[in-house]
Amino acid sequence: MTKETMSSLKQLNRLALTETEEAEVLDFLATLEKGEEKMAQTDTEGLKILVHLSEVSNLFNVLREDKAQKVYTREELQEHAPEAYDGYWQVPRLVD
Amino acid sequence: MKYITEKDIKGTVALEDTILYKGIPCTAGSKMLEKFIPLHNAEVADRLEKAGISISGKVNVGEFGFDLLGETSYFGAEKDENGNLVSASSCLVKEGLKGVLAVELNGASIRGAALGGTVFVKPTYGTVSRYGVIPCACSSEQVGVHACNVENASEILSVIAGHDAKDGTSLPCEKYEYFVKDDVSGKKVCIPKEYFEKADDSTKANVEKIADALKSKGAQVEFVSFAEFEASQSAWFVMMCAESCNNLSRYEGVKFGHRTESYNDIEELYTKSRTEAFGLLAKSVILYGSDVLSKNRYFTTYDKALKVRRLLRTKLDALFAEYDLILAPVSSKTGYKEASMKTVYEESYFTSLASMMGLPVVATKGVQLIGNSFEENKLLCAAKAIGEVE
Repeated sequence: MTKETMSSLKQLNRLALTETEEAEVLDFLATLEKGEEKMAQTDTEGLKILVHLSEVSNLFNVLREDKAQKVYTREELQEHAPEAYDGYWQVPRLVD
Repeated sequence: MKYITEKDIKGTVALEDTILYKGIPCTAGSKMLEKFIPLHNAEVADRLEKAGISISGKVNVGEFGFDLLGETSYFGAEKDENGNLVSASSCLVKEGLKGVLAVELNGASIRGAALGGTVFVKPTYGTVSRYGVIPCACSSEQVGVHACNVENASEILSVIAGHDAKDGTSLPCEKYEYFVKDDVSGKKVCIPKEYFEKADDSTKANVEKIADALKSKGAQVEFVSFAEFEASQSAWFVMMCAESCNNLSRYEGVKFGHRTESYNDIEELYTKSRTEAFGLLAKSVILYGSDVLSKNRYFTTYDKALKVRRLLRTKLDALFAEYDLILAPVSSKTGYKEASMKTVYEESYFTSLASMMGLPVVATKGVQLIGNSFEENKLLCAAKAIGEVE
């Protein structure tokens, strides 16, 4: 992975790394990329992707009955909020 | 352990800290969720309590369960008197807890029990509800049971398994019956050479000892070669990181999770909050996950991994038509003083197949027994049969 790609990924994921951390992460990712060689050598020609393991049991879209269930109040959900005011989640000003 | 009850904890069950219990902090071993207090119980917690099983506390885990043996927990790693990393859950069941429920993601629970001299049972994907579990790799992770013996693990698993309409990946069977008998007579067991040869001499000797014990009780044990296993490690890491990258994107310090103390704008709030709260392994998982999902890499990595998953399913169908179960080491060594990120990846070699394929596993005595989907009872009986090996 190039430093430019790393820079873009950090920005996308809203993460920062120190120089030492970035060197360690790049080294780790290089190991993962090397591991991809064995996957690349595996012949999967003509195979469909397998996303849901339930497909193996011939089951798709296991859905519950369309009935209303318990919902949480705004107050309950805002118990987790780092900052809230008058029923709103509080964040810094977005537009000047 | 954070206590939920003041009562004697002997005979009770605890929850690893990736499983929600109303009103008790659930951290996933991360600074990000240090102050997160769930509004509801996980389905597995409700099922235990409805069955009259008392839940005594929460148990420390590695950050979001990505690591080797809990070493990345923000609250500190657990070590034994020799300085080896140990699983907190394995230690607690040895001290008298009847069981600990854990989310098995990247092999930490399997390694913890096998190397710690206890038992961990991971059932087939979809048999136990994941409602109320902090999600990472949703298509594969599964709640399992730590216990000091297979009987306790089987009993607790029977309580928590069964369809839950609140989990869209829960299979429709209402109830599963698990049992334990010391009986492996006539069973065919295979040891994949690819796993065996990656292990050190001490680990190999242990696998051979377990194989001898199974043979002495009437099982047939053979080595097999299964080259496609080799691809499962990389495919698993691609899938796990891709799914986890998406799941960890919800932590931004606005609706919940850690919020940095000082910031000038919303971008800085996001970046500083996430940077301060995630450990380096979690950050690496996120970065690699978003890399493999990017336009230039998607088809050669994520899409390819899902095709490898299809191929492995076909190969496993053929393998399990001939053999009842797989016997394999859980790791290349018998102990770890520390674990780098590379070690986490290298050791996932042994656990990635069962992880990505949602297969049931029983880990004990330094080894893992892997079965075909819904074949937990074969594994429990084989684990019972090797239970007396010293």
